[in-house]
Amino acid sequence: MQAEQEIVDRLCEEFPFLKGRVHVQRQKRIFTGHLVKEEFEQVIRYLHNNMGFYKANHVVGTDEGENLGFIYLLSNKEGIMLALKEIAPKSDPKINSMTCIYPSLERHERELVDLFGAEVQGLPEGPSYPLPDGWPKGNYPLRKEWKPEYFDKNTMTYNPPDAGNDKGKR
Amino acid sequence: MKLLEKAINWATRKSPWIIHYNSGSCNGCDIETIDALTPRFDLERIGIIQQGSPRHADILICTGAVTIQTRDRLKQIYDQMPEPKYVIAVGTCACSGGIFDGCYCVMGGVDSVIPVDVYVPGCAVRPEAIISAVQKLLDTIGESKKKRDSNAKSLADSMNNNNLTRGMKNNTENNAENNGQDGGDLCAS
Amino acid sequence: MEKVDENKERAENKENEENKESKQNRETSERNRIVIPIGPQHPSLKEPSSFIITLEGEKVVDAVIGVGYVHRGIEKACESRTYIQNLYLIERVCGICSHTHSTAFCQGIEELAGITIPRRAAYIRVIVAELERLHSHLLWLGVAAHEIGFDTLFMYSWRDREKVLDVLAEICGNRVNYGINTIGGVRRDIDSEMMQDTLKMADYLEGQLKYYLDLVMTDKVLSARLVGIGKLSREDALKFGVVGPVARAAGIMDDIRIIEPYAAYDEIPVNPVTDTHADVFGRTVVRIKEMLESLEIIRYSVKNIPDGDIAVKAPRRIPAGEVISRTEAPRGENIHYIRSNGTDMPDRVRIRAPSQANWQGMRHMLQGQYLADIPITIAAIDPCYSCTDRAIVVNSESGTEIMDWQGLRQYSIEWYKKRGIDVSLVKMPERKFYA
Repeated sequence: MQAEQEIVDRLCEEFPFLKGRVHVQRQKRIFTGHLVKEEFEQVIRYLHNNMGFYKANHVVGTDEGENLGFIYLLSNKEGIMLALKEIAPKSDPKINSMTCIYPSLERHERELVDLFGAEVQGLPEGPSYPLPDGWPKGNYPLRKEWKPEYFDKNTMTYNPPDAGNDKGKR
Repeated sequence: MKLLEKAINWATRKSPWIIHYNSGSCNGCDIETIDALTPRFDLERIGIIQQGSPRHADILICTGAVTIQTRDRLKQIYDQMPEPKYVIAVGTCACSGGIFDGCYCVMGGVDSVIPVDVYVPGCAVRPEAIISAVQKLLDTIGESKKKRDSNAKSLADSMNNNNLTRGMKNNTENNAENNGQDGGDLCAS
Repeated sequence: MEKVDENKERAENKENEENKESKQNRETSERNRIVIPIGPQHPSLKEPSSFIITLEGEKVVDAVIGVGYVHRGIEKACESRTYIQNLYLIERVCGICSHTHSTAFCQGIEELAGITIPRRAAYIRVIVAELERLHSHLLWLGVAAHEIGFDTLFMYSWRDREKVLDVLAEICGNRVNYGINTIGGVRRDIDSEMMQDTLKMADYLEGQLKYYLDLVMTDKVLSARLVGIGKLSREDALKFGVVGPVARAAGIMDDIRIIEPYAAYDEIPVNPVTDTHADVFGRTVVRIKEMLESLEIIRYSVKNIPDGDIAVKAPRRIPAGEVISRTEAPRGENIHYIRSNGTDMPDRVRIRAPSQANWQGMRHMLQGQYLADIPITIAAIDPCYSCTDRAIVVNSESGTEIMDWQGLRQYSIEWYKKRGIDVSLVKMPERKFYA
């Protein structure tokens, strides 16, 4: 637990805005609170360059109601995993791609684009992943408001019932 | 023409060539299908060969629930196969969608896209059940459609009795002692 | 002044000529470039995926990989099913490494609910996990041998794999998708007869594995097909974040069983297996040695398994919170992120299967390879077996040809035969007695 606490202390010292927003969850697990884009980028660059978090294992997208959350899982040589969270509003879900410092994130960030509708800026060009060809635009299946039962797989259209009129039909 | 048909049916029954297609399976049924080709079960000794190209195949063994992305591919493969052609849906997912039914990318069972001749339930299907399904299918080749339909029910019943219960029995018995016998029984029957 | 100008002009002319030449070169080389789409079906074994491979002559210049044909939407489905239902759904993420997924999921939920599972259950989880690793690696060995045209080894290793499946069926009741895990422990106990059979299998398999290792290490024809193929250096492996045997073959020890022991691995000695070849040969050796290590782990756990209960009762509703759970799958590190909102259904489940990480390095591994080495390079990260889809060879000069995966495999075997490397002629050496 000592190594984990040291990482937390060092982060808080370097970035005052992190105070109280980063905690050791258990052995080898550190979680941060949701950071906005600018804060997030400072921290992730610092972790990569100065603190030996050489590996980005994954990005988890989450639905936070009005916002989208992105949890970057980073790990260091000792196997300590740090979950660094970023947040962006659904109305303007722009984040910057981190593939410039962690090339291994390419496929994972592509998933955020398809499944959550995040706009990842700076992502290298490539085929979309993992949704099928011809998937209708504007349908992000992992957002909470998107319900699979309203999706017609034959015509590939999403037909939600109108809140007022069609309530009884479905 | 009828003579030719008879000849084709006769030839198919003796040595059917199968093609295997994964339309969105978890791999469980796929490895069991390959298992059926390897030494313990060895489909080749009863004349069944796996084929790479759909144009040379008689029987399509399809595993897994059909996903939206593979739907058109599956149709394409089915269209490329020459007549007479048969389809075996291997695994609960291929029969009905199984545990994946209701997922947003899953169309349902194989029969939601192409017609199916034999359903083999199980998760995962044991290789014996696959071999038995092929054998049972071969027995019906050349029969009229009416007869095949009437046979369908008894076929399903016998499959339930023979394979699934035997599969369960095998689990409780000491399997190490059954080495090499599993496929052997089927071959004889 | 004039002279300078002249010189400048001459230089410019020369430059232009050079440009023209290089442009012509580029044009001819671009004309010689062939684009081969392979896939997307890999009907025999693994998930379908498609490759678009650009060739210059026989060398691969670029490879674009498309995955997602088996995208079923499991993560969304998890959000509308209860934890117990999800356990069985998550087991079917992958039929080959189903136990590792269900272990990761159970562990996560147990951590959220604050449950400690009985030690006996932890040991049973380890035994099943190692048996799974054995069957998965044996499966891979056969597939890799098949891709280079060595069908004898393919049949041998799949025959041995049946012995492992017999033991798995005996312990779990099913050959694939074992269903042994439950939240709070395991569902079936292991008795002395099962242990005896497991040990018997381990003794048999140890001899076979040493025999295969000997074969791979000593046979010149095999090493001609495997050494130096699909190179991924230590630096690149770190850069692309590959995991499991691919990383370990490059000398990176990333075994979660050692870094972050779960289940009963904290009590069981696990020796790390690494190699420095960083190619297909290294991956083969790592996998075979890992199997031998797995046998040791199985022997140790069978001998030291404590008595006691196999499960504790778990609540239906899981307290709110989030957790990251890691396990070592046969293909590498497997990560599950689970977030609970206090109900009996999870709020979010995210699964990072090891192959997802390994795909990142694929493009790099393929670049600079010969076309004939593509099947074994792709097989070496353990993602696919064969592909019956026709591939269209588009050649701008001679029109369109059609070639399928088996054609490519055949081509690769013939290509090496012409160069005097015929794997099908490798005779299995007489089996020595391994004590």
